[in-house]
Amino acid sequence: MIEIKNVSKSYVKGKKSVDDLNLEIKNGEIFGFLGPNGAGKTTTIRMITGILNMDEGDILIDGKSIKKEPLAAKKNFGFVPDSPDMFLKLKGIEYLMFMADVYDVPQNKRKEKIEELTKKFEIYNQLNNQIQSYSHGMRQKIVICGALLSEPKNWILDEPMTGLDPKSSYDLKEMMREHAKSGKTVFFSTHILEVAEKLCDRVGIINKGKLVFVGTFEEMKQKFKENASLEDLFLEITEK
Amino acid sequence: MDKVIKLTKIFLKNSFSNMDARMGISTKSKSKIIVYGLLFLYFAGLIIFLGYNLLDGLIAIHQETIFVGMILFMIFGLGIIQTIFSSINILYFTKDSEYLLPLPLKPYQIILARTNVMLIAEYVIIFLIGFIPLVMYGILTGAGIVYYLTMILAVILVPILPVLLISMLVMFIMSFAKLTKNRNRFQLFATLLVLAIIIALSISTSGMKQDLTNEEMAQMVVQANGMIELVKGYVPTVDYLMEALTTNSLFTAIVEVLKTLGITIVGFILYMLIAQKIYFKGLVGNLFGGGASNTNKEINQKEYRNSKLYKSYVGKEFKNMARNPVFLMQCLIPAVLIPIIMVVVVYAGLNSDGMGLEQITQMVQQTPTNTFFIACIILGVIQFFTMFIYISITAISRDGENAVFMKYIPVSLYKQYLYKIIPNIIMNIVTIIITLGMAEYLLNLPVITLIELFIVATIMGILQSIAMIIVDLKRPKLNWDSEYAVAKQNLNLVFPVLLSIVNIVILVGFVYLLKDINVYVGVGILGILYIVATVITNKYLYNKQYELADKII
Ligand SMILES: Nc1ncnc2c1ncn2[C@@H]1O[C@H](COP(=O)(O)OP(=O)(O)OP(=O)(O)O)[C@@H](O)[C@H]1O
Ligand SMILES: [Mg+2]
Repeated sequence: MIEIKNVSKSYVKGKKSVDDLNLEIKNGEIFGFLGPNGAGKTTTIRMITGILNMDEGDILIDGKSIKKEPLAAKKNFGFVPDSPDMFLKLKGIEYLMFMADVYDVPQNKRKEKIEELTKKFEIYNQLNNQIQSYSHGMRQKIVICGALLSEPKNWILDEPMTGLDPKSSYDLKEMMREHAKSGKTVFFSTHILEVAEKLCDRVGIINKGKLVFVGTFEEMKQKFKENASLEDLFLEITEK
Repeated sequence: MDKVIKLTKIFLKNSFSNMDARMGISTKSKSKIIVYGLLFLYFAGLIIFLGYNLLDGLIAIHQETIFVGMILFMIFGLGIIQTIFSSINILYFTKDSEYLLPLPLKPYQIILARTNVMLIAEYVIIFLIGFIPLVMYGILTGAGIVYYLTMILAVILVPILPVLLISMLVMFIMSFAKLTKNRNRFQLFATLLVLAIIIALSISTSGMKQDLTNEEMAQMVVQANGMIELVKGYVPTVDYLMEALTTNSLFTAIVEVLKTLGITIVGFILYMLIAQKIYFKGLVGNLFGGGASNTNKEINQKEYRNSKLYKSYVGKEFKNMARNPVFLMQCLIPAVLIPIIMVVVVYAGLNSDGMGLEQITQMVQQTPTNTFFIACIILGVIQFFTMFIYISITAISRDGENAVFMKYIPVSLYKQYLYKIIPNIIMNIVTIIITLGMAEYLLNLPVITLIELFIVATIMGILQSIAMIIVDLKRPKLNWDSEYAVAKQNLNLVFPVLLSIVNIVILVGFVYLLKDINVYVGVGILGILYIVATVITNKYLYNKQYELADKII
C-alpha cells in the first residue's frame, strides 16, 4: 500500500512540478499513472522512492514514512527506474547477486529466484556477459529482475514497457497481475493507454503537476466523452 | 565549415558542462571562473619565474637562442603527451558519438570538430608554457615586431603536427578494435600500451639527464645544443621556426615560416585523407562492438554464494574501476605506479651525481635516521604520492546518472559512503607500504618507527578519503559524456592536492616547532592530531549524510 499525502515539489522556485498530490494505492491493486511528457510522473516516483525530497506532505509505504523511516520504507518496495543503463560494467549475474546482497535475499532462494525470473525473460543465457553488451530491452529486463528478486510487496516502475518486445511486455503484465492477485501493490507510469485500459484496476492522470483524474478506466470513459477514442480522451483531459 | 564550428562548440560544451544545467541552476558560476583564474595566474607566475631565471642565465653566457629551441620542443612534446591522453577519449569514448552518427554530417566535419577540440585543449596549455616564455624572450632580447609576429605563428603551428600524428596513431590502433570481439579487454590493452610507452619514455629520459648533469654548465649548454641539433633533424617544423625566430633577416624569417606552413598543410591533408578512411571503422566497432561475449552459458554455482553486503559493495566499486580503462588509469594505477616511477627517477638521479647507492647507505650509517625530522619527511613523501589517488574524490561522480541508485536502496547512505571510500583507503595503504618499503631499504629504520609511521599515514589516508567524498558529494559531476570528464577534466581533482599541501605544511610546522623531540612521541602527537581530525570529519559525514545526498538526482 502506498499513500501519497498532500505532496508538492518544485525544482525551481515558483514552478511546481508536483502540486498538492493525494493518492492511495491499495493492496491488491494495479495502479497506472498517466500523463503527457513533463507532467510530473517521474518526479512523483522519485519522491516515493526517496530519491527526491518533497517540499510538503508525506508518503507512506506499507505505513512507513519515506521521510521519517527511510530504510524501513525502502525495504518495502522494488523500483525500476526510467533509464535502465545501470551497472554497465558488471556481468548480469554479478548485478543480480549484488541486488540480492543489498536486499538480503536468503541463500537458498537466490538460485531458484534468479533462474525463474531470467528464464521467463529469456536473458538467462546472457547472465555471464557484461550488461554493457545488452540491448536496451535486455537491460530493461535485467533491471526488472533485480528489482523483483527480493519479492518486494510494492512494485514501483517508471515506464517499464518501453523497449520490451511484445512477449516480454506480455510476461511483465502477467507478472503484475499475479502480484496484485496475491494482495500486493503495483504502481507504474506509462504513456500507453491500451496498457492502462487492459491492465490497471485504477488509473490516475497527472497534468502539469496536478492530479486531474483518479478512478477506473470505465469511469474515466463515462466521465468524459462516451465513445471517444482513447487518444481523444487523453487529449481532452490533459488539455483542459 | 559552419557546421564544423558548431560541432566543435557542442563538443567543447559537452565536455565542460556539469550538473548545474540539469539542476536548473544557471550558474555561469563566478566562483568557478575565479578558481580557474587563480590556478591560471599561479601557473603563469611560476612559469615566468622559472623562465626568467633560465633565460637570464643563458643570456649571461650568450646562449639565449637555445631557449627558443627548448620552448619549441616543449610545445611539440607536450602536444604529443597531451594528445596521447586525450585522443582515445575524445575520439572514441565520448557518448555523444552514438547520437552523432545518424545525423546528416559529413565524416570530415566530425573528424575536424574532434580534432579542433584536441587542439583547443592544447592551445590553452601552450599559452602558458609556450607563449609567455617566448614573449619574455622577446622582451629580454629586445626583439622587433617581426619576432613577435613569427612567434605567434610558431605557437599556432607547432602543436598541430604532433596532435595530428598521435591522433592518427590512435585511430590506426583503434581501427583494429572492431576485429576484436572483446572490446573491454582491448580498451584495457590499448590503455596499458600507452602507459608502457610513457613509462619507457620517463625511464629513458631520466637516463639522458644522467649524462647531462655530469658536466659543467657550459658543457651542459653545448650538450643541450647538441641534443636540439640532433632531434631537430626529425622535427623539421621546429627546425625552421627556430631559424625564423633567431634570424635577423626578414627574408629568411618569411621563407622559414612558409616552409613550416607548407609542411603543416601537407600533414593536415594527409591526416584528413587517412582519418576519413580509418576513423569511422574504429568508432563503429568501438560503439557497437560485441562487449564481453562469454560463450559459457551455464552459471557457475559459485556465483550464487551469499556474501556480506560490504564485500559485494566494495567489490562492485573495484570492478567498475578496473573494467573501465579511464578509471583504471586515473584511480587505481597511480597508487602503484607513481611511487615506482619516483624510485626510478630518484635512483637515476642519485647515480648521476656520482653519488651511488653505496654512498647513501654509508652516509646513512653515520648519521642517525630514526629522528622526528626523517619521520616527517617520509610522511610528507607519502602525502605527495597519495594526492594522485582519485578514488574518493570521484566516488559519487563515477556512477554518473546511476548515482541515484544509492538513494532508493534500503542501505543507509552513511554506510554506502564508507563502502565507496574503502577502495581509496586500500590504495592509500598500497602506496604507504611501497613508500615505507623504500624508506626501510634506504634508511634502516627500527620496526616500531615503521609501524608508527604506517598507522599515522593510514589515518591520514582515511582522513583524505572521508574529506574527498564530502567534496564530491557537495560538487558532484553526474551527467558526463565520457569517463574522461570525471577523471580528468574535473575541477574537484585539485582538492586532494590541496589537502596534501595542507598536510605537508602541517608536517613542516611540526618539524620546525618540535625539532628535537623523540621520534616516537613526535609521531604519536601527529597521530593524535589526525585521529581527532578524522573523527570530526567522519562525524560530519554521518550527521549530514542525507543533506549531502541532495545534489544526487
Ligand atoms: N532535475 C530537474 N531539474 C529541474 N526541473 C526538472 C528536473 N526534472 C524534471 N524537471 C521538471 O519537472 C517537470 C516534471 O518532470 P517529470 O520528469 O516528472 O515528467 P514525466 O511526467 O516523468 O515526463 P515523461 O513522460 O517525459 O517521463 C517538468 O516540467 C520538468 O521540466
Ligand atoms: Mg518520466
